[in-house]
Amino acid sequence: MIEFKNVSFSYSNDGSANGGGCLKNIDLKINKGEAVVLSGESGCGKTTITRLINGLIPYYYEGTLTGDIIINGKNSRDMSLYDISKNTGSVFQNPRSQFFNVDTDSELAFSCENQGMPVEEIKRRIKETVELFGIQRLMHRSIFDMSGGEKQIIACAAVSVADPDIIVLDEPSSNLDMRATAELKKCIRIWKSQKKTIIIAEHRLRYLSDIADRVFYIREGRIENSFTFDELREKSFEELKSLGLRPVTDDQFKKAGNAVSESQNGLTLKNFAFAYKRSAPVLKIEECSIPFGQITAVIGNNGAGKSTFSRCLCGLVKKCKGIAEYNDNTLKRRDRLKKSFMVMQDVNNQLFTESVLDEVMISMEEEKNDKAIEILRSLDLEELSDRHPASLSGGQKQRCAIACAIASNKEIMIFDEPTSGLDLRHMYEVADNIRFVNSDDRCIIVVSHDLELILSCCTYVVRLEKGEVIEHYPLDSNGIGRLVDFFEEPFRSSSKDVS
Amino acid sequence: MTDDIMPGAVHDRKGVVLDPRTKLLLLLMISVFSWSSIGGRAGWIILPVITLIPVILLYFSRKWKGAVISTLLFLAVNLISYTDLNKLSGGVYYIILMIVGIFGRLMPCIIMAYYLVYTTTVSEFVAAMEKMHVSEKITIPFSVIFRFFPTVREQMHFIKDAMDMRGIKIGGKHSSKYIEYRLIPLMICSVKTGDELSAASLTRCLGGSVRRTNICKIGFGFPDYVIILILIASVAASVIVRLV
Amino acid sequence: MSNENNKLNGKDLINIGVFAAIYMVIMVAISMLGFIPIFMILLDVLVPLICAIPFMLFLTRAKKFGMIWIFTILIGLLQLLTGMGPYAIITSFVFGLLADLIAKSGKYQSRSKAILATTVFSGWVWGDFIPMFVNKNYFDSLSNYADGYAESLKKLCPPWMLIVLFFAAFIAGFIGALIGQKVLKKHFEKAGIA
Repeated sequence: MIEFKNVSFSYSNDGSANGGGCLKNIDLKINKGEAVVLSGESGCGKTTITRLINGLIPYYYEGTLTGDIIINGKNSRDMSLYDISKNTGSVFQNPRSQFFNVDTDSELAFSCENQGMPVEEIKRRIKETVELFGIQRLMHRSIFDMSGGEKQIIACAAVSVADPDIIVLDEPSSNLDMRATAELKKCIRIWKSQKKTIIIAEHRLRYLSDIADRVFYIREGRIENSFTFDELREKSFEELKSLGLRPVTDDQFKKAGNAVSESQNGLTLKNFAFAYKRSAPVLKIEECSIPFGQITAVIGNNGAGKSTFSRCLCGLVKKCKGIAEYNDNTLKRRDRLKKSFMVMQDVNNQLFTESVLDEVMISMEEEKNDKAIEILRSLDLEELSDRHPASLSGGQKQRCAIACAIASNKEIMIFDEPTSGLDLRHMYEVADNIRFVNSDDRCIIVVSHDLELILSCCTYVVRLEKGEVIEHYPLDSNGIGRLVDFFEEPFRSSSKDVS
Repeated sequence: MTDDIMPGAVHDRKGVVLDPRTKLLLLLMISVFSWSSIGGRAGWIILPVITLIPVILLYFSRKWKGAVISTLLFLAVNLISYTDLNKLSGGVYYIILMIVGIFGRLMPCIIMAYYLVYTTTVSEFVAAMEKMHVSEKITIPFSVIFRFFPTVREQMHFIKDAMDMRGIKIGGKHSSKYIEYRLIPLMICSVKTGDELSAASLTRCLGGSVRRTNICKIGFGFPDYVIILILIASVAASVIVRLV
Repeated sequence: MSNENNKLNGKDLINIGVFAAIYMVIMVAISMLGFIPIFMILLDVLVPLICAIPFMLFLTRAKKFGMIWIFTILIGLLQLLTGMGPYAIITSFVFGLLADLIAKSGKYQSRSKAILATTVFSGWVWGDFIPMFVNKNYFDSLSNYADGYAESLKKLCPPWMLIVLFFAAFIAGFIGALIGQKVLKKHFEKAGIA
């Protein structure tokens, strides 16, 4: 059992309860075997609660902590991080940064090895877990050639090998596509059947709706409300939106189509093909047309070739000899490199300078201060023009990158997974940004597996599978049905597996 | 995409398997023989002989590509070293000089290092170090380096892409700041990822006072003894030649 | 909390690994130039100059005795694993210890001591170049034909070059540290990671 007694925490050392992630007077009781979801906007403090449970606060992240956290009858202050970790497993948001080892076998054994368990016992546990999770195909592999979804499953299995009573997950699905999320759900279901206490900080609620017992809604460091999933299912889309929660059932999705303006212009891609040395082609598109003046969503499961597609389109892949045509212009690779801009999934990689203003200036053909300021103003960034880009929030960074794209007169703009890990409000902010750049002389492409984002801003869908375009359709009411079907499919098949 | 520096990351038990400690000893001996005068007058024969060990082992480990390349390098360097090319002059001569004087001595170490890195998993390596009673203070950061190196590399590729899209390149706009623009985001992102990595590892019980166990089994076998014997013989030979 | 306990904990050890990996990636990227033989010697300057930046950033995290030393030893060990010969292990052992002692004398807070520590640390790179100069009798062991090589190589790499390289590494390290200091202020402090 976990009990929080009047817990307050702030990441600053002076005790002021300001800034993101701080907590105020939290009282909370989670019973053994219960699965609870902590939800709320980014920065509301839900991650902080998970860190208090797995001991990273106060032993790794420093700050000011008052109140007591009692875990299985012991005060967490009297335990070391090692003691807490023995009985608490953690799964984190970013699959890239939560492995200590380079191969899956070592990773599964890691926690037990650190606890000094006998080798035979560890091997027995690994064998058991591998069978229970059905992950034989993931064993003996390097983590560097696994997809994000596969890594997340290994992270869950690693927790299971150590067999703790409490399992904490911090936004585990935010970098996953639907299929991988369905796999994650299976793992949580296994733990639930083993009577583990499960705490999940998450804003995608839908995949949890039939496993979790309660949802705590947190706002500005306080637990404002607690719901059961039945109560959430009753709420309308607007009610959920005002709480900042993502939809729980299909019916709560906004089902109106986005206004589609028929545009004659299109960007025609010809002969887009790419393959790594001596392996099957990752991308093989003979011809594909992407409309101008619309926002096109590119969807498909992991490994469908989405990121290769966007890299080829930007002209970043030298071996891809394809051309793009529009208005009788032919764009070869180098031309596309000049005409296109990709807002990367990790925007941090594309901000180089010491201030937002400089960032925009270096993107311009002729560096004009007035024009740069004007662009910043249009994106609501003028006040931040002297800030270091790395110190901005995620959404602001993204706007900064968009400002650069506008400054450099790019006509093709690609957003690569722009909303992975964002809550509802920030997701809408991104959707607004994307709509803002849309105009008749631009071609906007959104690569995403965020259904809600696509529904809220896209007007056209291109679906890739195994490197080929297998369908493309406008997002009218008919198209929405097809889109939702595609996103629902993995969950239907997974529930079949179980029953 | 990910150019692994420990590409033998995954258990790949094919062919002759050596204990990592033997490989390390071999690497050390080859380094010492090629970079110092320890071989004395017998060095010219000892070095090629022990360099042949990893070349042959690469065939036994079925690393065909590496095996063929290292065989060719081995033959080329040795042939050039023993051929009289003094009559040549100018640039060509200096290139040959470099090959003999520098690359010729780098080559044995590189082949051995290649063999070691491509046939040893990180966990085997750590297990070997633990058996040699190397402190955790070395083994933990050591494994983090191998774990993190490809991640940083990957990040570097992303940044290169981003720079291409913005038209920043050497010889282009802002080339004076090229290095700054490449390094800054790399370090900022890597440090953040590193912090996440260390938080995650600590929740997996790393750093307790308990003595770690290791599921990775290593040990000496027949091939190990053969190689150690050859090494002992080489050292003995060089000592005897000196005394005579 | 960290001040009470001066023993290295898991977080410190992982930090060492993370920064050593960053250092190595940057170093390998620079070393690609070394395949052109003339540039090889230049690496003695380029590596300390550019790699001083990540090292200065590492110093903002190294607050306990041993971190800098272990970092440097690991870099030396990796030189062996990449085939650069055994001398770097010795130089890294010595200069790493000195750098750590210097930083310690500034209680791991002083900026000027950090610059000095970075300068001294940079000396490890010299170890990679020692083999090119010592041991001329390597060629004696080759067949008689090789005499000419030995003579020419002596001309190409005269022994005094080794001393030049030794000091060049420190000077480059010092300049790199000054640049690193600037970059810390300009970027990392503003970005909130230093």
